[in-house]
Amino acid sequence: MTAALVGFAVVLALVLVRVPIAFAMGIVGTIGYFVETERWTGTISMVSRLILDTAQDYGLSVVPLFILMGLFVNKGGLSRELYQVSYAFLGHLKGGLAMATILACGLFSAICGSSLATAATMSKVAMPQMRRYGYDDRLSTASIAAGGTLGILIPPSVILVIYGLMTETSIGALFIAGIVPGLMGILFYLGAVRFTVARNPASGPAGERTPWPARGRALAAVWAVLLLFFLVIGGLYGALDVWPLYLTFSPTEAAGMGATGAFLIALARGTLDVRGLFEVLRDTATTSAGLFAVLIGAAVFSNFVNVAGLPDALLALVQAYAISPYAVLLGVLLVYVALGCVFESLSMLLLTVPIFFPLVVSLGFDPVWFGIVVVVVVEISLITPPVGLNVFILKGVVGDVSTGTIFRGVTPFWAADILRLAILVLVPGLVMFLPNTMGP
Amino acid sequence: MTLAKALPRVSRALAFVPALVAAVSLFALMLMTFADVVLRSALDAPLPWATEMTRILMAVSIFSAMPALSASGRHIAVDLTDPLFGPWATRIRELLVNVGCGALLLWPAERAVVLARRSLSYGDVTEYLRIPQYWPEIFIALACYVAGAALIARGFLALLAPRALSAAEPEGGLG
Repeated sequence: MTAALVGFAVVLALVLVRVPIAFAMGIVGTIGYFVETERWTGTISMVSRLILDTAQDYGLSVVPLFILMGLFVNKGGLSRELYQVSYAFLGHLKGGLAMATILACGLFSAICGSSLATAATMSKVAMPQMRRYGYDDRLSTASIAAGGTLGILIPPSVILVIYGLMTETSIGALFIAGIVPGLMGILFYLGAVRFTVARNPASGPAGERTPWPARGRALAAVWAVLLLFFLVIGGLYGALDVWPLYLTFSPTEAAGMGATGAFLIALARGTLDVRGLFEVLRDTATTSAGLFAVLIGAAVFSNFVNVAGLPDALLALVQAYAISPYAVLLGVLLVYVALGCVFESLSMLLLTVPIFFPLVVSLGFDPVWFGIVVVVVVEISLITPPVGLNVFILKGVVGDVSTGTIFRGVTPFWAADILRLAILVLVPGLVMFLPNTMGP
Repeated sequence: MTLAKALPRVSRALAFVPALVAAVSLFALMLMTFADVVLRSALDAPLPWATEMTRILMAVSIFSAMPALSASGRHIAVDLTDPLFGPWATRIRELLVNVGCGALLLWPAERAVVLARRSLSYGDVTEYLRIPQYWPEIFIALACYVAGAALIARGFLALLAPRALSAAEPEGGLG
């Protein structure tokens, strides 16, 4: 156990001196595995085997395909229409543009599995509008940064896919389980906007009211997005296994169908030429390569942690001191929040799940529920100082707003997230209701 | 021509072919998955070899992009402590980190070649198309070699020609 904890500390130290996270985990995992097994050839063979096997793991093919789907959707310009339809229904309220941003982020998340992509995309669409109506920078940037976090919870979600593959938990069940907490996220963030404008009405003036016919037209314009969502999620969960379709997908197939659908939408809208297609494919491959490098590094580190016996030692410790399961869970969640100050979401998940998952499941918690709770905590880390990646993405896109301003604006949203987390922990049925009733 | 002008051109030229391979294999993967589902649902005639081709196309796509990812310094990293490093400390840190990571990548790359050759000697082939398992494995091993070499080159460029290096880097980070 000591060796694993030292390894954990060294990974943290290496990451802080800017060693890429994949290499930090891979190097420490390799050395640690060698120290534990005292076999050098066996250690290097283990690393090489992991590289070869991870690169050809059928289950992981879902990762590049979902990323591809998100980038095609982005290229198709659908984000603007999602914002317009959200604005049509909410824009006339106080803080309505910020609310529309939250709703549009939630809708965009339903076709994009990445929080960073959601925040980056929506900032380009929503920020100019909110500036035009004189919104306080704190509210406008915070609503985008917080809304963007929904990307990894509302299905399809790349993070949930990877959690499912790592823990052999049903990806379909995880996706369905993410829906209610995702909707709660939207509602709570809308509440955070109301709270902000109630305290300072000038921060979010109301926009113009959209007449009902125009609302109908705006809604009709996003049919393709809704169709794509139902194709992917419906097919994955067997809801399309009816005459005359008979469509059921594995996660990889759902991602492939989603990516092809998004490609066809972008093509039909005339927003995709050969150069654009090449750029989307190249960017997807590059982003996926970065994620695969982290996956491989984490797998090496996970093997070291397992031969060092950390999960078993933690369980023995909990049993020896008769610590209550909820106290353990609280400890685990606090570790996540602390790690979120340094690590980005995927690395944090990969580094910790091999350690905490066996412990939490052996204490009687449901793997699907734990996956959702972990992703909600990861969402919180995306807007928590000092790292809060979504905040930095926004800073990069918007430019003339300080990160301090964004972090100050994000505080009510962060509090809403903590409240949501507490509810999901105390009422697990909110997460498990849909997977239990719709279970295949 | 100065290094600062030449390096972006050279890096773009070197990156184009692997990027094209990555793009074509990813596009083929997407279309093949679509065709497999449609053929299975509509004609009850799925592509039996789709699973093995998925694995190969994914490996080719991901590992074609790996050297460019390494060369451009776009591996996921935390930049929290960047303000603590002055210009020279940054150069030395970049040298140590990149050369260290690149050199350490060569070990598993070398071992992956051994494992690939072992697959060849055992006659391992895929189930339907009977593609030798050696091919994707040796491709991955070679990509690791190139990625390692790219990291080492990046480390030395960061020390000796940091301006040329930043001029050659693409805009934006990993999404």
